[in-house]
Amino acid sequence: MIHAVLIFNTSGVARLTKFYTPLHQPSQTLIPKIFSLVCSRPATLCNFLDAPELEAFIGPKGEQDERWRVVYRSYATLYFVFVVDGAESELGILDLIQVFVESLDRAFENVCELDLVFQFDEVHHILAEIIQGGLVLETNVEEIDNSGVLQ
Amino acid sequence: MASNMRGLTQFIADIRGARVRELEEKRINKEMANIRKKFKDGNLDGYQKKKYVAKIIFTYILGYKVDVGHMEAVNLISSPKYSEKQILLMHENSDFLRLVVNSIRKDLDGNNEVDNCLALHAIANVGGSEMAEALVEDVHRLLISPTSQSFVKKKAALTLLRLYRKHPDVFPAAEWALRIVSIMDDTDLGVVICVTSLVMALAQDHLAPYAVCYNKAVDRLHRLVIEHEYLATYAYYKVPSPWLQVKLLRLLQYYPPSDDPNIRTVLHEVLQTIMNNSAEPSRNVQHNNAQHAVLFEAIGLAIHLDSSSPLVGTAAILLARFISSKETNVRYLGLDTMAHLAARADSLEPIKKQQNIIILSLRDKDISVRRRALDLLYSMCDVDNSELIVGELLRYLRVADYALREEMVLKIAILTEKYANSYKWYVDTILQLISAAGDHVGDEVWYRVVQIVTNTEDLQEYAAKVVFQHLKAPSTHESLVKVAGYILGEYGHLIANEPGYSPIEQFRVLHGKSQFCVASTRSLLLSTYIKWVNVFPEIKPQLLNIFERYRHVLDSELQQRACEFYALASRPEEDELLQNVCEEMPPFPPRVSALLGRLNQKHGDTGDKRTWVHGGKEANLDREVTKKKTVLVETNGGSAPAASDGGDILGSLAGLDLSGSIQSPTAKAGGGLFTENGAPPVAVGPNVDRWFDKLTWNAEGILYEDVQIQIGVKSRYQGHIGQLAIYLGNKVPSPLTSFTTSLHISDPEALSVTFAKIPPSTIAPRTQTQQLLHVECKKMFTTPPVLSISFLAGSHQTLSIRLPIVITKFFEHVKLGSTDFFERWKLIGGPPREAQLVFPVELTSAGQLDLVKHRQVVGGHRLNILEDIDPNPSNIVAAAVLHTSAEGKVGCLLRLEPNREAKLCRITVRSTSEDVAAEVLKLLQKPLKD
Repeated sequence: MIHAVLIFNTSGVARLTKFYTPLHQPSQTLIPKIFSLVCSRPATLCNFLDAPELEAFIGPKGEQDERWRVVYRSYATLYFVFVVDGAESELGILDLIQVFVESLDRAFENVCELDLVFQFDEVHHILAEIIQGGLVLETNVEEIDNSGVLQ
Repeated sequence: MASNMRGLTQFIADIRGARVRELEEKRINKEMANIRKKFKDGNLDGYQKKKYVAKIIFTYILGYKVDVGHMEAVNLISSPKYSEKQILLMHENSDFLRLVVNSIRKDLDGNNEVDNCLALHAIANVGGSEMAEALVEDVHRLLISPTSQSFVKKKAALTLLRLYRKHPDVFPAAEWALRIVSIMDDTDLGVVICVTSLVMALAQDHLAPYAVCYNKAVDRLHRLVIEHEYLATYAYYKVPSPWLQVKLLRLLQYYPPSDDPNIRTVLHEVLQTIMNNSAEPSRNVQHNNAQHAVLFEAIGLAIHLDSSSPLVGTAAILLARFISSKETNVRYLGLDTMAHLAARADSLEPIKKQQNIIILSLRDKDISVRRRALDLLYSMCDVDNSELIVGELLRYLRVADYALREEMVLKIAILTEKYANSYKWYVDTILQLISAAGDHVGDEVWYRVVQIVTNTEDLQEYAAKVVFQHLKAPSTHESLVKVAGYILGEYGHLIANEPGYSPIEQFRVLHGKSQFCVASTRSLLLSTYIKWVNVFPEIKPQLLNIFERYRHVLDSELQQRACEFYALASRPEEDELLQNVCEEMPPFPPRVSALLGRLNQKHGDTGDKRTWVHGGKEANLDREVTKKKTVLVETNGGSAPAASDGGDILGSLAGLDLSGSIQSPTAKAGGGLFTENGAPPVAVGPNVDRWFDKLTWNAEGILYEDVQIQIGVKSRYQGHIGQLAIYLGNKVPSPLTSFTTSLHISDPEALSVTFAKIPPSTIAPRTQTQQLLHVECKKMFTTPPVLSISFLAGSHQTLSIRLPIVITKFFEHVKLGSTDFFERWKLIGGPPREAQLVFPVELTSAGQLDLVKHRQVVGGHRLNILEDIDPNPSNIVAAAVLHTSAEGKVGCLLRLEPNREAKLCRITVRSTSEDVAAEVLKLLQKPLKD
């Protein structure tokens, strides 16, 4: 399941935060933590990151090997970060980020960071069309776009 | 749409423009004051309310505490305008939510899909227990209602899942199984994805009730991968909905491999195609990504199905290529999947060939890859390569990342213990481990060393020597000092006579370390010293001196020990107390290694479980066993209340959309479903029995019919093999969708019945489809197999009927002369190998015996009627041989003697098997009686 979706820019300012599991500590401390994990990795490294460090925030996963995994992708000045558990396919999440970005792109026509700032509600709506309660709801860009229009 | 809130945009721009935090706070405070005032004034229109709530939310997102507006938000939710409602749903975590349950329910019940969606969304995102209990029925209704739009269904499915995860008891998952699984046949892939997610979560906890989803998943995969049957928009960079494929492949891994050869072939074909597809990597990154996502899951499934199949061989070759790939993501997943393979496969050979590459991966520049390499090395380790792998891990440990070390230490310790060829190697390695990564060595590790050394006598002397050598190093870790303290105290005397290991040297080295240690280690050392007082009288003065000094330290534990030991040591020489106290430690009772205990901690949430764990094959076998146990308990616990609470279940079913259902007996069956052997109760009714009985002695005819559906059967048998064609006719002018058939055989050892291919999921209006069944009789059986059918025609319906497959179907004619017959008849003899019954028969209208029918029935049961044996023409004498594949042939002889005057008939069956005799008697007398 997907536990959190975050977008922040290259200087670590959060542009979107959405948590599907309750946090143990305020999100204001979590984001810098994840940012520091992600930003230190050069572009050639893989897009997945085991993050035992996050246990303090979202609580430990009971079973062995069950770790929080951070799947991220960077687009221009923005990092799109998904915190998931072992039940999600890593590459699948990577694809999902792509779908999310493509949907944003359709909605805003050449999405840029400012769109996310000024139309944060719209961004949330789009995300809500893709993920509901930590699970993938729709992956068809066409559909996602339509439901935006419909509203 | 939201962009026209100019005030909001202005507000955001202002905040962005604020240079310092104080200015920002000032602006926010001003805005909040303004909002408070506006709300107090009242008479705001919807737009204004929305705007202000949006501002509040934005402030909340920035991280400020917000305490106004909850009440306003609640008011807003009952507002009729969509966008006004929508804005509210972003604002979570509020106590006020319970106030909204009612207005959400109103939305759920409404006819406006958009309202439905929003309400579902709210439930999914908030989902407290009160809300769950209050609304779960409504959500379920939306999911299964045929009038729901696709997007409503999708949201309802996920909402239900969300509620289930939070409160697994909130709805009867097992009872809703068939209904929920049937939606997996929906034509909209979006719905299928969501329902599959739901089914996946539910199936993990309720394997048996959800077993139908196996076929559905295989069928869907077949349609996606091989027949390419999907909407173009669902192709993601030319891969048909990778998410769905991944989900389905994952779902299949929760079930044990299917026995149905047909399903296996289809699945094999699917996996093969997936692997072939990814043989040539394309240049598009996204396309590659999606393809690999599916591929890795497919490999996982292949390993799960049969870790020694050729498919897995192909997979191993692919994986070998992946782990040396240039792309980091692929390397990462390659290692991960290979660890899965190593954890399940019988032979580690293909992986061992890659050992060097894997060890190199430990030095990859990416920590994520390094972690996976570590996991893989842990899984692939066995007796042959343990020294090499552990040596490699030890070497790497010195340079490993801080975050990785503790786990590495644990894993090295386990591997060393599990695959040690010699105890010497074990002790060497562990001591190296402790000195290399002292800080990361948990207490469990050194406890275990002490346990093993104490329990292994041969090892004690060697261990004492090695530990002493390690202790001589200029800097030693505290854990090492503890091990040394314990081992030298117990076994120091074993080496005391060798040069360089004399008591005084042992004492100097050990005591030299004590000043760097914490109190608990020092107290352990004090215990060592008192043991030495006992075995090394020559250094007693030095030891007494130490106790003397420690009597004045501040730490109470140390002080107490020192005082007690001092008193003990200063007793006169001939006193035996000291000797008794310092007796050598007895061996520890054998116990499970605490290390494994630490690795395999339990977990108990409803999240998705992994289908395998790191570690060798045994680790996974152990796990399966415990898992099976829990499943067993669960099914017992699950079925018992279902049986006793029949009334409740009907009550809850009444609330569902089943009211339109025509077969009330089968609707009932939906509730008390799954009796002991998993077979659903059979449909009943006078006609059903008549149809069945007639088919037991006829090759074709009608098996079942009602207003919606007609089921006909044609059959052909030869020896122990048979073929059954089932004709399913749709009598209504709309299609029957989500058509699912499954078979329940009470004794699979005796009878095998399989579908020739996966049945289609839809029957078009007023048409008929045919399904072929292969039947094989292995042994004598009495219970006919049950065919369960479920379909959607407005509402969801299930129907279970017995298939007319009985033991006489496997009879073959045998020709016997009069003498032969009587010889055998006598040979078999009377009871118990004879079954006899006298029963009344009806006469024809002419008052005659219905001899034609008698002959038909006996012949229809495939017995050869032998002429001219019995002088009485009304009597029938018949013989047949039963063919079974496992138990060979069984002869069967029959005499039927009707009596017109008495209106009675006597039937006698003799067979070499008493079971066969009784069964044939039972089968024959039934149609004769009518």
